[in-house]
Amino acid sequence: MKHSHLILALLAAGLLAGCADLTRSRDLANPKVSAVTLAQQVCSNCHGITGISVSPNFPNLAAQTPEYFAAQLKEFKSHGRQDPAGFEYMWGLSRSFTDEQIAGLAAYYAAQKPESGPARGDAVRAAAGDKIFHEGLPDKNVPACMVCHGDKGQGNQAFPRIAGQHSDYVVKQLLVFQRTDERPEGAIMKTVAHELTANDISNVAEYVQSLRTP
Amino acid sequence: MMNAASDQTAGFGKFRWALSIAIGLFATLMCAPSFALPLFARQTGQNCVACHAGGQFPELTPYGRLFKLTGYTIGERTIPLSAMGLISSSKVANTSKSDDPGSDFQKNGQPIFATGSVFLGGKVTDNIGAFAQVTFDPYATQSPDGRFHGHSNADNIDLRYADRFINANRDLIVGLSLNNNPSVSDPWNTAAAWMQYVPVPSPTSSRFIDGSAPYPGYAAGGNIAGLSAYAFWNRTVYAELGAYGSSRGALSFMHAGLAPGDLAKLKGLNPYWRLAWNHEWGPHSLMVGTSGMSAKIYDDPTDTSDSATIHHTRDIGLDAQYQYLLDPHSVTAQVAYMHSRHRYPDFLAGQGAAFVDALGNGLPDTNAQDTTNTFRAKLTYVYQAKYGGSVGFFNLTGSTNTANQSSGYSPDTLTITSDGSVQAPSQRVGGNLTGNPATRGFTLEAFWTPIQYVRIGAQYTGYSRYNGASENYDGFGRNARDNNSLFLYVWAAY
Repeated sequence: MKHSHLILALLAAGLLAGCADLTRSRDLANPKVSAVTLAQQVCSNCHGITGISVSPNFPNLAAQTPEYFAAQLKEFKSHGRQDPAGFEYMWGLSRSFTDEQIAGLAAYYAAQKPESGPARGDAVRAAAGDKIFHEGLPDKNVPACMVCHGDKGQGNQAFPRIAGQHSDYVVKQLLVFQRTDERPEGAIMKTVAHELTANDISNVAEYVQSLRTP
Repeated sequence: MMNAASDQTAGFGKFRWALSIAIGLFATLMCAPSFALPLFARQTGQNCVACHAGGQFPELTPYGRLFKLTGYTIGERTIPLSAMGLISSSKVANTSKSDDPGSDFQKNGQPIFATGSVFLGGKVTDNIGAFAQVTFDPYATQSPDGRFHGHSNADNIDLRYADRFINANRDLIVGLSLNNNPSVSDPWNTAAAWMQYVPVPSPTSSRFIDGSAPYPGYAAGGNIAGLSAYAFWNRTVYAELGAYGSSRGALSFMHAGLAPGDLAKLKGLNPYWRLAWNHEWGPHSLMVGTSGMSAKIYDDPTDTSDSATIHHTRDIGLDAQYQYLLDPHSVTAQVAYMHSRHRYPDFLAGQGAAFVDALGNGLPDTNAQDTTNTFRAKLTYVYQAKYGGSVGFFNLTGSTNTANQSSGYSPDTLTITSDGSVQAPSQRVGGNLTGNPATRGFTLEAFWTPIQYVRIGAQYTGYSRYNGASENYDGFGRNARDNNSLFLYVWAAY
């Protein structure tokens, strides 16, 4: 009897204490929770505390352009972006975010340092991907990636940073662009990626992942 | 006893009422478009695969573990209710070696509504969340006319308080869990409370399916009450320390619906501990851990007046889990081992055995203590969170004790017989002739998850050893392989 009362009292105390601190909240529907808190308490679970994710299932977000980042969150929230990775994980998480929270998250990740460790991946594939990245495939009308994404893959406003991105994520997204209409905001990529073979996609993804751009 | 009985009836009535509402709600929701989700999915808005590896329940992904350890508080408050149901059919390889196949293998080969559960839980505050399961068993009891009667009772309950201190330099999750089953608070699927993932129907045709095969577990059992404190540091080291006692007073809801004779009654507070090392790299994650519990359990849960009737148990476990999760592949490898020591109260130790040997000579007195070792390994693959299969192996070994014998030569007739009029009747099918608990076998499973709330599966469990022997384990010629069982199921949650 005594023990159970003590436990309930402790829980009640916890309940009261729990109402207090918004700086450690995981509430996705409270507009008062700051973007930094959301990034730390929720987004970090998959994308890492500094926007560098451990699992290639989840894209790196460090140093992402704020324009692209905010546009994606809005696309998730409005269900405009419909690729599996988007709706399985992101639709729900973003459903109640305010514009201010989205802008705050964009700024948080834009300010993070991108991956700086040794380049990962298959060097032979990366070399072939290097050529596509810088020169495109003129005979197939595939433009060079660097034209929009920057000469070092650093991104440019609405064109995302792709330097250091997980190759597995890049491959999957290129296939989404090429084979589906699940990312209407990236419709331009459907034309760009149209003629890429599976091999080209793997090569360019491998190169992009190996890029170490400050 | 009158009071206890009427308490039970009242508790049962309450759960029936809750169940009726839940079933009504379930039926209503089934008509809604398919974007509505079970409670945690509604809370985060995510698909089941975000938290459950390859969509298999209850195995968690690295993110699912963090969701649990942060107290089920990620997301927004929503309708805190989900329901789960299981339709299944079990078929035992050989039902001929039995006096009464209708009773030994109830509903053999017949499809049944096996169990249903209602879950209540989710985010309560920014720091508090809950997971509480009430399970309904339509075959809980059988009256003399052969009719089955259903019953609901408290299943796993885990109420949490959690906080997380995280910045670029450190990540510390701390929390408290108030729960009714040691290790139910654990986020890895090799924990004793979680490795067994399909509910086990109670008709006796299901007595040999995988869910009834040996699993590493704590002798103190479930439906007790414990408070544990835990910490997960930098997603690398997990430590948990808890104390369990009988669930009583304000914590009686932890065993709601269970008859007084089915409870575990513990003396005082009994320690539970868990330590695990976790590492995640790329799509891989690995956990290696250990856990244990020491418990003082009354022999008769309805009589806790005499401390001389206490059993002392000590369980020490080792477990490891590896996951490879990269869409569309999910691979999980699990191993769990438990070493258990069970010391009997004096009045049960050193007692003469009921049976004799074939010549009428006495058998050794019963042991003062026993040890058992339970090993379990499982390898699972799921493709696209839809098509999956697993291979499992289990092996229980332990000391021989004449107290374990439920079959043997009766002293008056020097025969092995199930005739109830002899001095020591033996038990068919479930009997144990050797006094040794050794049971070994494998399970093969294939399943299909057409939509994320439904899983259809076929499981085959085979035995090379049962109750201490490969052949004639019950004294009536029944062999371990006669128990091989095919289990088909349709599982749904909403």
